[in-house]
Amino acid sequence: MASQTPAVVMDNGTGYSKLGFAGNDSPSFVFPTAIATKAGAGSAAGSGPGRPPVANKPSFLAGGAGASSHLSGKRGTEDLDFFIGDEALAAANGPGYGINYPIRHGQIENWDHMERFWSNSIFKYLRVEPEDHYFLLTEPPLNPPENRENTAEIMFESFNCAGLYIAVQAVLALAASWTSSKVTDRSLTGTVIDSGDGVTHVIPVAEGYVIGSSIKSIPIAGRDITYFVQSLLRDRGEPDSSLKTAEKVKEEYCYVSPDIVKEFARYDREPDRFLKHTVTAPNGRSVSIDVGYERFLAPEIFFNPEIYSSDFLTPLPNVVDGVIQSSPIDVRRGLYKNIVLSGGSTLYKDFGRRLQRDIRHLVDARIRASEARSGGARSGGLDVAVVTHKRQRHGPWFGGSLLGQTPEFRSYCHTKAEYDEIGPSIVRRFALLGGPGSS
Amino acid sequence: MPAYHSIFLEDRDVPVIGNFPVLPLRTRTRGPAYTLPPLPPNADTEVPPDSESYDCVDEILSLFRANVLFRNFEINGPADRMLIYGTLFITECLGKVKPAMTARDAEKALINVALDHFAIPGDVAFPLNQAFEAPRDRQDAETLRQYLSQVRQEIAIRLHARLYPGGVGPSKWWLSFTKRKFMGKSF
Repeated sequence: MASQTPAVVMDNGTGYSKLGFAGNDSPSFVFPTAIATKAGAGSAAGSGPGRPPVANKPSFLAGGAGASSHLSGKRGTEDLDFFIGDEALAAANGPGYGINYPIRHGQIENWDHMERFWSNSIFKYLRVEPEDHYFLLTEPPLNPPENRENTAEIMFESFNCAGLYIAVQAVLALAASWTSSKVTDRSLTGTVIDSGDGVTHVIPVAEGYVIGSSIKSIPIAGRDITYFVQSLLRDRGEPDSSLKTAEKVKEEYCYVSPDIVKEFARYDREPDRFLKHTVTAPNGRSVSIDVGYERFLAPEIFFNPEIYSSDFLTPLPNVVDGVIQSSPIDVRRGLYKNIVLSGGSTLYKDFGRRLQRDIRHLVDARIRASEARSGGARSGGLDVAVVTHKRQRHGPWFGGSLLGQTPEFRSYCHTKAEYDEIGPSIVRRFALLGGPGSS
Repeated sequence: MPAYHSIFLEDRDVPVIGNFPVLPLRTRTRGPAYTLPPLPPNADTEVPPDSESYDCVDEILSLFRANVLFRNFEINGPADRMLIYGTLFITECLGKVKPAMTARDAEKALINVALDHFAIPGDVAFPLNQAFEAPRDRQDAETLRQYLSQVRQEIAIRLHARLYPGGVGPSKWWLSFTKRKFMGKSF
């Protein structure tokens, strides 16, 4: 196969979808996983204020969730009248459209919307012929196999794509870390810390298989950091404390400090650590706000959730340690040795370093305690390493791009012919891509 | 990593009244506290912890901005009670300083708060009686009141120096902590 078409890599997350081609080092498109449809957003099919005067659906379709999920039942062209991504957000601001987020908590909730979202992704954004390309899609850990079957049904029957592989995001994030110079053995064993906008997951992976029973999630992620920055700006009475400004401040100025008391003292000694941020309003006026302690206090909520939330109090390092301790004992060493970061909220400067230090403290304390209890036995120590790399932001997508370009990728996929012969249940199992024996 | 604790927990032989420690202070107001040597002239406001003049007020002021963010605090010994008392008192002080105040007005307001009638552990009005023991007798209560008065004045004076560095201010960086409630309590 001399001139193979590149595989299409699509990573649909709760917040953003990342689309592109295998072999590239960044996705071609990154946009919100949002779809704007004509009026009556989601279940509110009644008479919303933005509803056009003429009913846009036959009356027998307006009720009942079951009926509206079949494209074939629709007549006319209203099902083609929709936008996805940034266009969807823009359209939803105007009259007549309602915004929908087809993915909730990482899993696809609305298949009709997702199908339309994919069709626009493929034909309008990527502009490819699905029958010429293999597809690599991603799924969250613990995705039910039924969801995978639904995905395959849409991919093969609606789009007629040539071949399909569905990979677990955490495994792809591990693969993405192979670009780091610190990683030498390219194993698929490690702990993935995936922190996006809504939630942070800690996922142990042993030789490419997710240890489902040990996964933990933390209700603190990017959005909470933004809220916390906003509350700090408000407490100080800054002239602009909108969510958008808080987000900018978070993205541009925040970093992780080794110790907050020392960091406060440092700001007293070095006044140039206080910065100014200029906000330009849409009407052209600009105001300048001061940026100070939130620079290091905001990411601190991962390490001291207490300062932000009153119901979740366990620091991230303790959660990671707990996850690894609850995994099978024979893989724990590998899990400590390869803690991989992924997602936008792990990009703060020195995030990995602080995490590594804190986990190491926990581990060392436990080893010392058990040495003391054993009465004289010496431990060989445990290696804790947090891997920071350049592809963290779109980790799972990049991992997919990396594995999708390998020559054997196609042999791991299920093809259209196989699907036609066996049916959707074929996608319940996939051979492990990038696992032992490949490349 | 939970809230920060006092380094004076390690000091042995600190006299206590009830379970409140009477730690040495670097102060010029008179009272029952053992007086530490004053700082050399034109020293920094930030005193290094290994200095012989370093006292619990220095510690309270340096830990304040971090500790005030926390809602839970485990008391590991008498010195931690001093830390709690000082932290809550700073919050009270910050509440009295308005953004428009000049250095002189703020100084007056702060000294007034420090000298105002205040509740000591054991009084009905004291908010932390679960964690603080009442003094044994009337005489102990009087000593504790005098000691706390020293602490309050010293905190007020040194806080003022931080709020108005070089005479300009008040610093909005400090005032931004006014609304936070350490342990969900306030005086």
